[in-house]
Amino acid sequence: MRVSELGPSDIVEITLRTLAVCASALVIALTLGVPIGIALGRRHFTGRRFLLGLVNSGMGAPPVVVGLIVAQLFFRNGPLGHLELWYSVEAMVAAQVLIALPLVVALVVAAVAALDPDWELQVKTLGIPTIRRRWLLLREIRLGLLAAIIAALGGILSEVGAVMQTGGNLEGETRVLTTAILMHTRMGMFESAYGLAAMLVGLMLILAGLLTWVQYGDRA
Amino acid sequence: MTAALHAHHLCLERRDQKGGFKLTVPEIALNHGETLAILGGNGAGKSTLLRILAGLEKIDQGRLELPAGGLVTMVFQRPIAFAGSVAHNIRIALRAQGVHRGDLEQRVSESLGHFGIEPLAERRASRLSGGELRRLALARAFALSPSVLLLDEPFDDLDFEAQEALSQDLRERVAKTGVAVAFVTHDVRRAALLCDRMAILERGRLAQIAPRDQVLNQPASPSIARRVGMNNIFPAKMTESGWAEAGPGLRLPTHHNHPPGTAVWVGLRPEHLKLEREPRPEAGIGSAQICSIVSDRVLCTVELECGGQRMRTHLVAGRGLAREIEVGETLTLSIRPEDVHILQRA
Repeated sequence: MRVSELGPSDIVEITLRTLAVCASALVIALTLGVPIGIALGRRHFTGRRFLLGLVNSGMGAPPVVVGLIVAQLFFRNGPLGHLELWYSVEAMVAAQVLIALPLVVALVVAAVAALDPDWELQVKTLGIPTIRRRWLLLREIRLGLLAAIIAALGGILSEVGAVMQTGGNLEGETRVLTTAILMHTRMGMFESAYGLAAMLVGLMLILAGLLTWVQYGDRA
Repeated sequence: MTAALHAHHLCLERRDQKGGFKLTVPEIALNHGETLAILGGNGAGKSTLLRILAGLEKIDQGRLELPAGGLVTMVFQRPIAFAGSVAHNIRIALRAQGVHRGDLEQRVSESLGHFGIEPLAERRASRLSGGELRRLALARAFALSPSVLLLDEPFDDLDFEAQEALSQDLRERVAKTGVAVAFVTHDVRRAALLCDRMAILERGRLAQIAPRDQVLNQPASPSIARRVGMNNIFPAKMTESGWAEAGPGLRLPTHHNHPPGTAVWVGLRPEHLKLEREPRPEAGIGSAQICSIVSDRVLCTVELECGGQRMRTHLVAGRGLAREIEVGETLTLSIRPEDVHILQRA
Protein backbone atom coordinates (compact mmCIF):
# COMPACT_ATOMS: atom_id res chain seq x y z
CA MET A 1 0.00 0.00 0.00
CA ARG A 2 1.36 3.40 -0.90
CA VAL A 3 1.19 6.03 1.81
CA SER A 4 1.23 9.63 0.72
CA GLU A 5 1.67 12.88 2.64
CA LEU A 6 -1.49 13.81 4.54
CA GLY A 7 -3.89 16.54 3.48
CA PRO A 8 -5.73 18.83 5.90
CA SER A 9 -8.88 16.68 5.74
CA ASP A 10 -6.87 13.58 6.75
CA ILE A 11 -5.39 15.41 9.72
CA VAL A 12 -8.85 16.62 10.80
CA GLU A 13 -10.24 13.10 10.52
CA ILE A 14 -7.41 11.63 12.65
CA THR A 15 -7.76 14.48 15.14
CA LEU A 16 -11.52 13.92 15.53
CA ARG A 17 -10.94 10.19 16.10
CA THR A 18 -8.24 10.98 18.66
CA LEU A 19 -10.61 13.30 20.48
CA ALA A 20 -13.43 10.74 20.40
CA VAL A 21 -11.20 7.97 21.81
CA CYS A 22 -9.71 10.22 24.50
CA ALA A 23 -13.05 11.76 25.47
CA SER A 24 -14.67 8.32 25.80
CA ALA A 25 -11.79 7.03 27.91
CA LEU A 26 -11.82 10.18 30.06
CA VAL A 27 -15.59 10.00 30.70
CA ILE A 28 -15.33 6.34 31.72
CA ALA A 29 -12.25 6.98 33.88
CA LEU A 30 -14.01 9.88 35.62
CA THR A 31 -17.24 7.94 36.10
CA LEU A 32 -15.32 5.12 37.77
CA GLY A 33 -12.46 7.09 39.31
CA VAL A 34 -14.28 9.92 41.07
CA PRO A 35 -16.49 7.71 43.31
CA ILE A 36 -13.53 5.40 43.99
CA GLY A 37 -11.32 8.41 44.83
CA ILE A 38 -13.98 9.90 47.13
CA ALA A 39 -14.45 6.58 48.94
CA LEU A 40 -10.69 6.06 49.33
CA GLY A 41 -10.20 9.64 50.48
CA ARG A 42 -13.02 9.78 53.06
CA ARG A 43 -13.43 6.28 54.40
CA HIS A 44 -11.03 4.29 56.51
CA PHE A 45 -11.26 0.54 56.08
CA THR A 46 -9.05 -2.51 56.08
CA GLY A 47 -7.04 -2.72 52.89
CA ARG A 48 -7.25 1.03 52.20
CA ARG A 49 -3.48 1.43 52.31
CA PHE A 50 -3.01 -1.47 49.93
CA LEU A 51 -5.50 0.07 47.49
CA LEU A 52 -3.80 3.48 47.77
CA GLY A 53 -0.46 1.80 47.07
CA LEU A 54 -1.99 0.09 44.06
CA VAL A 55 -3.35 3.40 42.75
CA ASN A 56 -0.01 5.15 43.27
CA SER A 57 1.82 2.35 41.46
CA GLY A 58 -0.77 2.52 38.69
CA MET A 59 0.09 6.17 38.09
CA GLY A 60 3.55 5.11 37.04
CA ALA A 61 2.51 2.07 35.02
CA PRO A 62 4.17 2.12 31.56
CA PRO A 63 1.42 2.56 28.91
CA VAL A 64 3.11 -0.02 26.73
CA VAL A 65 2.65 -2.65 29.46
CA VAL A 66 -0.99 -1.62 29.91
CA GLY A 67 -1.38 -1.96 26.14
CA LEU A 68 0.20 -5.41 26.22
CA ILE A 69 -2.21 -6.62 28.90
CA VAL A 70 -5.30 -5.21 27.16
CA ALA A 71 -4.14 -6.58 23.78
CA GLN A 72 -3.71 -10.01 25.38
CA LEU A 73 -7.23 -9.80 26.80
CA PHE A 74 -8.78 -8.97 23.44
CA PHE A 75 -6.50 -11.24 21.35
CA ARG A 76 -8.40 -13.93 19.43
CA ASN A 77 -7.33 -16.60 21.94
CA GLY A 78 -7.54 -14.25 24.94
CA PRO A 79 -10.19 -14.32 27.69
CA LEU A 80 -12.21 -11.59 25.94
CA GLY A 81 -11.40 -12.73 22.40
CA HIS A 82 -15.05 -13.65 21.72
CA LEU A 83 -15.91 -9.94 21.82
CA GLU A 84 -13.84 -9.49 18.65
CA LEU A 85 -12.45 -6.17 19.81
CA TRP A 86 -8.78 -6.73 18.94
CA TYR A 87 -7.49 -3.77 16.95
CA SER A 88 -10.62 -1.75 17.64
CA VAL A 89 -11.42 1.69 19.00
CA GLU A 90 -13.09 -0.03 22.00
CA ALA A 91 -9.84 -1.82 22.87
CA MET A 92 -7.96 1.48 22.59
CA VAL A 93 -10.51 3.13 24.92
CA ALA A 94 -10.13 0.23 27.40
CA ALA A 95 -6.35 0.68 27.46
CA GLN A 96 -6.66 4.44 27.92
CA VAL A 97 -9.16 3.99 30.74
CA LEU A 98 -6.61 1.83 32.55
CA ILE A 99 -3.95 4.52 32.06
CA ALA A 100 -6.21 7.40 33.17
CA LEU A 101 -7.98 5.69 36.06
CA PRO A 102 -5.10 5.67 38.59
CA LEU A 103 -4.38 9.34 37.82
CA VAL A 104 -8.01 10.31 38.39
CA VAL A 105 -8.34 8.23 41.57
CA ALA A 106 -5.06 9.47 43.07
CA LEU A 107 -5.77 13.15 42.43
CA VAL A 108 -9.35 12.87 43.71
CA VAL A 109 -8.08 11.07 46.84
CA ALA A 110 -5.62 13.92 47.43
CA ALA A 111 -8.33 16.57 46.92
CA VAL A 112 -10.81 14.82 49.20
CA ALA A 113 -8.21 14.13 51.90
CA ALA A 114 -7.32 17.84 51.93
CA LEU A 115 -10.87 18.74 53.00
CA ASP A 116 -11.51 19.49 56.66
CA PRO A 117 -12.19 16.18 58.47
CA ASP A 118 -15.43 17.69 59.79
CA TRP A 119 -16.65 18.77 56.34
CA GLU A 120 -19.06 15.90 55.89
CA LEU A 121 -20.38 16.23 59.43
CA GLN A 122 -20.99 19.95 58.89
CA VAL A 123 -22.98 19.22 55.74
CA LYS A 124 -24.93 16.59 57.63
CA THR A 125 -25.82 18.93 60.51
CA LEU A 126 -27.18 21.47 58.02
CA GLY A 127 -29.75 18.90 56.91
CA ILE A 128 -28.59 18.96 53.28
CA PRO A 129 -30.05 16.07 51.23
CA THR A 130 -27.69 13.33 49.98
CA ILE A 131 -27.73 14.26 46.29
CA ARG A 132 -27.02 17.90 47.05
CA ARG A 133 -24.26 16.80 49.48
CA ARG A 134 -22.53 14.97 46.61
CA TRP A 135 -22.82 17.99 44.37
CA LEU A 136 -21.36 20.18 47.16
CA LEU A 137 -18.48 17.76 47.59
CA LEU A 138 -17.68 17.86 43.86
CA ARG A 139 -17.81 21.66 44.00
CA GLU A 140 -15.53 21.62 46.99
CA ILE A 141 -12.91 19.41 45.29
CA ARG A 142 -13.28 21.02 41.86
CA LEU A 143 -9.66 22.19 41.71
CA GLY A 144 -8.38 18.67 42.36
CA LEU A 145 -10.97 17.29 39.96
CA LEU A 146 -9.83 19.56 37.15
CA ALA A 147 -6.19 18.70 37.93
CA ALA A 148 -7.20 15.05 37.56
CA ILE A 149 -8.85 15.78 34.19
CA ILE A 150 -5.78 17.68 32.94
CA ALA A 151 -3.39 14.93 34.10
CA ALA A 152 -5.53 12.13 32.67
CA LEU A 153 -6.06 13.92 29.37
CA GLY A 154 -2.34 14.68 29.09
CA GLY A 155 -1.55 11.04 29.79
CA ILE A 156 -3.89 9.51 27.23
CA LEU A 157 -3.69 12.14 24.52
CA SER A 158 0.08 11.88 24.19
CA GLU A 159 0.32 8.14 24.81
CA VAL A 160 1.37 5.95 21.85
CA GLY A 161 2.38 2.48 23.06
CA ALA A 162 -0.98 1.26 24.32
CA VAL A 163 -3.06 2.59 21.43
CA MET A 164 -0.63 1.08 18.94
CA GLN A 165 -0.87 -2.35 20.57
CA THR A 166 -4.64 -2.32 21.03
CA GLY A 167 -5.69 -0.36 17.92
CA GLY A 168 -3.04 -1.38 15.41
CA ASN A 169 -3.00 2.05 13.70
CA LEU A 170 -5.50 0.95 11.04
CA GLU A 171 -6.16 3.67 8.49
CA GLY A 172 -9.63 5.16 8.76
CA GLU A 173 -10.39 2.95 11.78
CA THR A 174 -7.98 3.13 14.67
CA ARG A 175 -5.35 5.65 13.54
CA VAL A 176 -4.94 8.45 16.07
CA LEU A 177 -2.54 11.40 16.20
CA THR A 178 0.27 9.68 18.11
CA THR A 179 0.27 6.48 16.05
CA ALA A 180 0.06 8.49 12.83
CA ILE A 181 3.04 10.67 13.87
CA LEU A 182 5.05 7.55 14.67
CA MET A 183 4.22 5.96 11.33
CA HIS A 184 4.96 9.05 9.22
CA THR A 185 8.25 9.64 11.05
CA ARG A 186 9.33 6.02 10.38
CA MET A 187 8.49 6.52 6.73
CA GLY A 188 10.43 9.78 6.51
CA MET A 189 7.28 11.82 5.80
CA PHE A 190 8.27 14.64 8.09
CA GLU A 191 5.84 17.16 6.64
CA SER A 192 2.85 15.04 7.69
CA ALA A 193 4.52 14.09 10.96
CA TYR A 194 5.04 17.77 11.82
CA GLY A 195 1.49 18.64 10.75
CA LEU A 196 0.11 15.95 13.05
CA ALA A 197 2.52 16.93 15.85
CA ALA A 198 1.44 20.56 15.60
CA MET A 199 -2.17 19.47 15.84
CA LEU A 200 -1.42 17.28 18.90
CA VAL A 201 0.51 19.99 20.73
CA GLY A 202 -2.08 22.63 19.80
CA LEU A 203 -4.87 20.39 21.04
CA MET A 204 -3.08 19.77 24.31
CA LEU A 205 -2.37 23.47 24.81
CA ILE A 206 -5.98 24.49 24.07
CA LEU A 207 -7.45 21.83 26.37
CA ALA A 208 -5.00 22.49 29.21
CA GLY A 209 -5.51 26.25 28.84
CA LEU A 210 -9.28 25.87 28.84
CA LEU A 211 -9.24 23.64 31.90
CA THR A 212 -6.83 25.94 33.76
CA TRP A 213 -9.15 28.85 33.04
CA VAL A 214 -12.11 26.86 34.41
CA GLN A 215 -10.00 25.71 37.37
CA TYR A 216 -8.89 29.11 38.58
CA GLY A 217 -11.30 31.48 36.86
CA ASP A 218 -10.50 35.07 37.77
CA ARG A 219 -7.95 33.98 40.38
CA ALA A 220 -5.39 32.70 37.87
CA MET B 1 -39.38 24.62 80.65
CA THR B 2 -39.60 21.89 77.97
CA ALA B 3 -36.59 20.05 76.67
CA ALA B 4 -35.60 20.70 73.07
CA LEU B 5 -33.24 17.74 73.34
CA HIS B 6 -33.07 15.14 76.07
CA ALA B 7 -30.28 12.59 76.39
CA HIS B 8 -30.48 9.57 78.67
CA HIS B 9 -27.79 7.19 79.91
CA LEU B 10 -25.24 8.07 77.26
CA CYS B 11 -22.22 5.82 77.09
CA LEU B 12 -19.49 5.83 74.49
CA GLU B 13 -16.32 3.80 74.65
CA ARG B 14 -13.42 4.05 72.21
CA ARG B 15 -10.34 1.87 72.41
CA ASP B 16 -7.09 2.97 70.83
CA GLN B 17 -3.35 2.49 71.21
CA LYS B 18 -3.22 5.07 74.02
CA GLY B 19 -5.68 3.07 76.09
CA GLY B 20 -9.01 4.46 74.97
CA PHE B 21 -11.65 6.81 76.25
CA LYS B 22 -15.01 6.40 77.93
CA LEU B 23 -17.73 9.00 78.18
CA THR B 24 -20.73 8.49 80.47
CA VAL B 25 -23.53 10.98 80.94
CA PRO B 26 -26.57 9.79 82.94
CA GLU B 27 -28.86 12.58 81.77
CA ILE B 28 -28.63 15.92 80.06
CA ALA B 29 -31.49 18.12 78.86
CA LEU B 30 -31.27 21.19 76.67
CA ASN B 31 -34.26 23.43 77.28
CA HIS B 32 -35.84 25.91 74.86
CA GLY B 33 -34.39 29.39 75.25
CA GLU B 34 -31.69 28.16 77.60
CA THR B 35 -27.92 28.22 77.19
CA LEU B 36 -25.78 25.46 78.63
CA ALA B 37 -22.00 25.84 78.88
CA ILE B 38 -19.99 22.63 78.82
CA LEU B 39 -16.63 23.05 80.56
CA GLY B 40 -13.79 20.65 81.16
CA GLY B 41 -10.10 20.10 80.64
CA ASN B 42 -8.42 18.81 77.51
CA GLY B 43 -9.61 15.31 76.68
CA ALA B 44 -12.53 15.51 79.13
CA GLY B 45 -14.95 14.64 76.32
CA LYS B 46 -16.59 18.02 75.75
CA SER B 47 -16.49 17.95 71.95
CA THR B 48 -17.40 14.26 71.91
CA LEU B 49 -20.48 14.99 74.02
CA LEU B 50 -21.44 17.77 71.63
CA ARG B 51 -21.08 15.45 68.65
CA ILE B 52 -23.19 12.82 70.38
CA LEU B 53 -25.91 15.41 71.00
CA ALA B 54 -25.68 16.38 67.31
CA GLY B 55 -26.19 12.73 66.37
CA LEU B 56 -22.78 12.61 64.69
CA GLU B 57 -21.16 10.08 66.99
CA LYS B 58 -22.32 6.50 67.41
CA ILE B 59 -23.02 5.67 71.04
CA ASP B 60 -22.75 2.27 72.69
CA GLN B 61 -25.68 2.91 74.99
CA GLY B 62 -28.31 5.54 75.66
CA ARG B 63 -30.82 7.48 73.65
CA LEU B 64 -31.52 10.98 72.42
CA GLU B 65 -35.04 12.40 72.46
CA LEU B 66 -35.78 15.15 69.99
CA PRO B 67 -39.40 16.37 69.73
CA ALA B 68 -41.05 15.99 66.30
CA GLY B 69 -40.01 18.75 63.92
CA GLY B 70 -36.94 19.55 66.01
CA LEU B 71 -33.68 20.28 64.24
CA VAL B 72 -30.22 20.05 65.78
CA THR B 73 -27.35 21.85 64.10
CA MET B 74 -23.75 22.38 65.07
CA VAL B 75 -20.96 24.87 64.44
CA PHE B 76 -17.54 23.26 64.64
CA GLN B 77 -14.41 24.55 66.36
CA ARG B 78 -12.88 25.27 62.96
CA PRO B 79 -15.85 26.81 61.16
CA ILE B 80 -16.35 25.24 57.74
CA ALA B 81 -17.41 27.39 54.80
CA PHE B 82 -18.39 25.94 51.45
CA ALA B 83 -16.78 27.03 48.20
CA GLY B 84 -18.48 30.12 46.84
CA SER B 85 -19.68 33.43 48.23
CA VAL B 86 -20.80 34.21 51.75
CA ALA B 87 -24.39 34.55 50.51
CA HIS B 88 -24.12 31.19 48.70
CA ASN B 89 -23.24 29.55 52.03
CA ILE B 90 -26.50 30.79 53.54
CA ARG B 91 -28.45 29.87 50.40
CA ILE B 92 -27.25 26.25 50.70
CA ALA B 93 -28.69 26.01 54.20
CA LEU B 94 -31.94 27.75 53.29
CA ARG B 95 -32.47 25.59 50.20
CA ALA B 96 -31.96 22.49 52.34
CA GLN B 97 -34.86 23.75 54.47
CA GLY B 98 -37.05 24.10 51.40
CA VAL B 99 -37.23 27.90 51.53
CA HIS B 100 -39.14 29.22 48.52
CA ARG B 101 -36.99 30.72 45.77
CA GLY B 102 -38.83 34.06 46.00
CA ASP B 103 -38.04 34.43 49.72
CA LEU B 104 -34.48 33.21 49.42
CA GLU B 105 -32.58 36.48 48.90
CA GLN B 106 -34.45 38.31 51.63
CA ARG B 107 -33.79 35.49 54.09
CA VAL B 108 -30.11 35.45 53.07
CA SER B 109 -29.66 39.15 53.76
CA GLU B 110 -31.62 38.90 57.04
CA SER B 111 -29.45 36.04 58.23
CA LEU B 112 -26.24 37.86 57.35
CA GLY B 113 -27.56 41.08 58.91
CA HIS B 114 -28.13 39.38 62.28
CA PHE B 115 -24.40 38.77 62.52
CA GLY B 116 -23.26 42.00 60.92
CA ILE B 117 -21.80 40.45 57.76
CA GLU B 118 -24.32 41.61 55.16
CA PRO B 119 -21.69 43.84 53.48
CA LEU B 120 -19.59 40.70 52.89
CA ALA B 121 -22.40 38.84 51.07
CA GLU B 122 -20.62 38.64 47.72
CA ARG B 123 -17.12 37.98 49.09
CA ARG B 124 -15.64 34.53 48.63
CA ALA B 125 -16.03 32.58 51.87
CA SER B 126 -12.42 31.38 51.52
CA ARG B 127 -11.24 34.99 51.86
CA LEU B 128 -12.91 35.68 55.21
CA SER B 129 -10.94 36.28 58.39
CA GLY B 130 -11.32 33.87 61.33
CA GLY B 131 -13.85 36.11 63.06
CA GLU B 132 -15.89 36.69 59.90
CA LEU B 133 -15.89 32.96 59.16
CA ARG B 134 -17.23 32.25 62.63
CA ARG B 135 -19.97 34.82 62.09
CA LEU B 136 -20.84 33.22 58.77
CA ALA B 137 -21.04 29.77 60.38
CA LEU B 138 -23.36 31.14 63.07
CA ALA B 139 -25.50 33.05 60.56
CA ARG B 140 -25.81 29.86 58.48
CA ALA B 141 -26.75 27.81 61.54
CA PHE B 142 -29.40 30.33 62.64
CA ALA B 143 -30.76 30.52 59.08
CA LEU B 144 -31.98 26.95 59.55
CA SER B 145 -34.15 28.04 62.53
CA PRO B 146 -32.89 25.10 64.58
CA SER B 147 -34.45 24.02 67.85
CA VAL B 148 -31.02 23.10 69.20
CA LEU B 149 -27.73 24.79 68.38
CA LEU B 150 -24.45 23.20 69.43
CA LEU B 151 -21.29 25.32 69.37
CA ASP B 152 -17.82 23.89 69.77
CA GLU B 153 -15.47 26.55 71.18
CA PRO B 154 -17.33 29.44 69.49
CA PHE B 155 -14.83 32.03 70.71
CA ASP B 156 -11.65 30.12 69.98
CA ASP B 157 -8.90 32.19 68.29
CA LEU B 158 -10.86 35.45 68.55
CA ASP B 159 -9.38 38.54 70.17
CA PHE B 160 -11.11 40.03 73.19
CA GLU B 161 -13.08 42.64 71.27
CA ALA B 162 -14.29 40.11 68.69
CA GLN B 163 -15.32 37.77 71.51
CA GLU B 164 -17.32 40.53 73.19
CA ALA B 165 -19.08 41.55 69.98
CA LEU B 166 -19.87 37.96 69.01
CA SER B 167 -21.16 37.19 72.52
CA GLN B 168 -23.50 40.15 72.26
CA ASP B 169 -24.87 39.11 68.87
CA LEU B 170 -25.21 35.51 69.98
CA ARG B 171 -27.05 36.48 73.16
CA GLU B 172 -29.48 38.59 71.13
CA ARG B 173 -30.20 35.83 68.61
CA VAL B 174 -30.69 33.22 71.33
CA ALA B 175 -33.12 35.51 73.17
CA LYS B 176 -35.06 36.28 69.98
CA THR B 177 -35.25 32.76 68.57
CA GLY B 178 -35.67 30.77 71.78
CA VAL B 179 -33.23 28.15 70.49
CA ALA B 180 -31.66 25.78 73.01
CA VAL B 181 -27.89 26.29 72.95
CA ALA B 182 -25.08 24.14 74.28
CA PHE B 183 -21.55 25.41 73.85
CA VAL B 184 -18.17 24.02 74.73
CA THR B 185 -15.53 26.34 76.10
CA HIS B 186 -12.38 26.51 78.20
CA ASP B 187 -13.13 30.07 79.23
CA VAL B 188 -15.08 30.16 82.50
CA ARG B 189 -15.60 33.92 82.32
CA ARG B 190 -17.08 33.71 78.83
CA ALA B 191 -19.23 30.76 79.91
CA ALA B 192 -20.49 32.65 82.95
CA LEU B 193 -21.41 35.65 80.80
CA LEU B 194 -23.47 33.62 78.33
CA CYS B 195 -24.94 30.60 80.05
CA ASP B 196 -27.88 29.81 82.28
CA ARG B 197 -26.53 26.42 83.33
CA MET B 198 -23.10 24.83 83.43
CA ALA B 199 -22.05 21.23 82.90
CA ILE B 200 -18.59 20.16 84.03
CA LEU B 201 -16.95 17.14 82.43
CA GLU B 202 -13.99 15.43 84.03
CA ARG B 203 -12.23 12.56 82.23
CA GLY B 204 -15.39 11.52 80.39
CA ARG B 205 -17.67 11.81 83.44
CA LEU B 206 -20.37 14.42 83.97
CA ALA B 207 -19.10 15.76 87.29
CA GLN B 208 -21.72 18.48 87.82
CA ILE B 209 -24.61 20.03 85.93
CA ALA B 210 -26.50 22.84 87.62
CA PRO B 211 -27.58 26.46 87.26
CA ARG B 212 -24.63 28.77 86.65
CA ASP B 213 -24.53 30.40 90.08
CA GLN B 214 -24.78 27.08 91.83
CA VAL B 215 -21.74 25.73 89.98
CA LEU B 216 -19.81 28.94 90.56
CA ASN B 217 -20.66 29.15 94.28
CA GLN B 218 -21.15 25.53 95.23
CA PRO B 219 -18.86 23.47 93.05
CA ALA B 220 -19.31 19.77 93.71
CA SER B 221 -15.60 19.04 94.19
CA PRO B 222 -12.26 20.81 94.65
CA SER B 223 -11.33 20.12 91.02
CA ILE B 224 -14.56 21.73 89.78
CA ALA B 225 -13.93 24.62 92.16
CA ARG B 226 -10.51 25.19 90.55
CA ARG B 227 -12.02 24.93 87.08
CA VAL B 228 -14.57 27.63 87.82
CA GLY B 229 -11.95 30.01 89.17
CA MET B 230 -12.02 29.20 92.89
CA ASN B 231 -8.26 28.86 92.91
CA ASN B 232 -7.74 28.88 96.68
CA ILE B 233 -8.99 25.57 97.97
CA PHE B 234 -7.81 23.65 101.01
CA PRO B 235 -9.06 21.21 103.64
CA ALA B 236 -10.47 22.58 106.90
CA LYS B 237 -12.50 21.58 109.96
CA MET B 238 -15.54 23.40 111.29
CA THR B 239 -15.15 24.82 114.79
CA GLU B 240 -17.78 25.35 117.47
CA SER B 241 -18.14 29.04 116.68
CA GLY B 242 -19.01 28.28 113.02
CA TRP B 243 -15.58 29.18 111.70
CA ALA B 244 -13.55 26.97 109.43
CA GLU B 245 -10.06 26.23 110.63
CA ALA B 246 -7.61 25.39 107.88
CA GLY B 247 -4.36 25.51 109.79
CA PRO B 248 -2.55 27.24 112.63
CA GLY B 249 -3.54 30.89 112.45
CA LEU B 250 -5.86 30.34 109.47
CA ARG B 251 -9.48 30.68 110.61
CA LEU B 252 -12.21 31.68 108.20
CA PRO B 253 -15.60 33.20 109.04
CA THR B 254 -18.55 31.37 107.42
CA HIS B 255 -22.32 31.49 107.25
CA HIS B 256 -22.51 27.71 107.27
CA ASN B 257 -23.88 25.66 110.15
CA HIS B 258 -22.03 22.39 109.81
CA PRO B 259 -21.54 20.49 113.06
CA PRO B 260 -18.22 21.21 114.81
CA GLY B 261 -15.47 18.85 113.73
CA THR B 262 -16.94 18.33 110.22
CA ALA B 263 -14.19 17.94 107.64
CA VAL B 264 -14.80 20.29 104.72
CA TRP B 265 -13.07 21.93 101.77
CA VAL B 266 -12.83 25.69 101.87
CA GLY B 267 -12.93 27.53 98.54
CA LEU B 268 -11.98 31.18 98.17
CA ARG B 269 -12.00 33.20 94.96
CA PRO B 270 -8.80 35.28 94.57
CA GLU B 271 -10.87 38.40 93.89
CA HIS B 272 -12.68 38.02 97.23
CA LEU B 273 -9.53 38.05 99.38
CA LYS B 274 -8.60 41.45 100.74
CA LEU B 275 -5.07 42.48 101.67
CA GLU B 276 -4.64 45.30 104.18
CA ARG B 277 -1.84 46.87 106.16
CA GLU B 278 -3.96 47.38 109.30
CA PRO B 279 -4.87 44.30 111.37
CA ARG B 280 -8.67 43.64 111.46
CA PRO B 281 -9.22 40.69 113.77
CA GLU B 282 -13.05 40.69 113.43
CA ALA B 283 -13.06 39.90 109.66
CA GLY B 284 -9.48 38.93 109.25
CA ILE B 285 -8.21 35.55 108.24
CA GLY B 286 -4.81 36.20 109.72
CA SER B 287 -1.36 37.42 108.82
CA ALA B 288 -0.14 36.53 105.35
CA GLN B 289 3.34 36.72 103.93
CA ILE B 290 3.80 37.74 100.31
CA CYS B 291 5.61 35.03 98.31
CA SER B 292 5.42 36.46 94.79
CA ILE B 293 3.94 39.31 92.80
CA VAL B 294 3.16 39.00 89.09
CA SER B 295 1.58 41.87 87.22
CA ASP B 296 0.30 42.11 83.62
CA ARG B 297 -0.34 45.88 84.00
CA VAL B 298 -4.07 45.21 84.40
CA LEU B 299 -4.16 42.70 87.18
CA CYS B 300 -1.57 42.07 89.86
CA THR B 301 -1.57 38.46 91.10
CA VAL B 302 -0.13 38.12 94.58
CA GLU B 303 0.78 34.74 96.01
CA LEU B 304 0.62 34.54 99.79
CA GLU B 305 1.31 32.12 102.59
CA CYS B 306 -1.09 32.10 105.51
CA GLY B 307 -1.35 29.45 108.20
CA GLY B 308 0.69 26.99 106.18
CA GLN B 309 -1.56 27.35 103.07
CA ARG B 310 -0.63 29.02 99.80
CA MET B 311 -3.24 31.41 98.42
CA ARG B 312 -3.64 33.79 95.55
CA THR B 313 -5.30 37.16 95.40
CA HIS B 314 -5.71 39.87 92.78
CA LEU B 315 -5.11 43.59 93.04
CA VAL B 316 -5.62 46.28 90.41
CA ALA B 317 -2.18 46.78 88.89
CA GLY B 318 -0.47 50.12 89.47
CA ARG B 319 -2.91 51.31 92.14
CA GLY B 320 -3.01 51.41 95.96
CA LEU B 321 -1.38 48.43 97.61
CA ALA B 322 -0.21 46.97 94.31
CA ARG B 323 2.28 49.84 94.03
CA GLU B 324 3.59 49.48 97.58
CA ILE B 325 3.83 45.83 98.53
CA GLU B 326 7.01 43.79 98.29
CA VAL B 327 7.87 40.12 98.45
CA GLY B 328 8.51 38.99 102.05
CA GLU B 329 6.23 41.63 103.58
CA THR B 330 3.54 40.53 106.06
CA LEU B 331 0.02 41.95 105.71
CA THR B 332 -3.45 41.25 107.03
CA LEU B 333 -5.72 39.04 104.93
CA SER B 334 -9.49 39.24 105.25
CA ILE B 335 -12.65 37.96 103.57
CA ARG B 336 -16.40 38.40 104.03
CA PRO B 337 -18.14 35.30 105.47
CA GLU B 338 -20.48 35.08 102.45
CA ASP B 339 -17.45 34.71 100.20
CA VAL B 340 -16.15 31.67 102.05
CA HIS B 341 -17.48 28.63 100.16
CA ILE B 342 -17.73 25.39 102.06
CA LEU B 343 -17.67 22.14 100.05
CA GLN B 344 -18.54 18.77 101.52
CA ARG B 345 -15.51 16.52 102.00
CA ALA B 346 -16.11 12.82 101.50
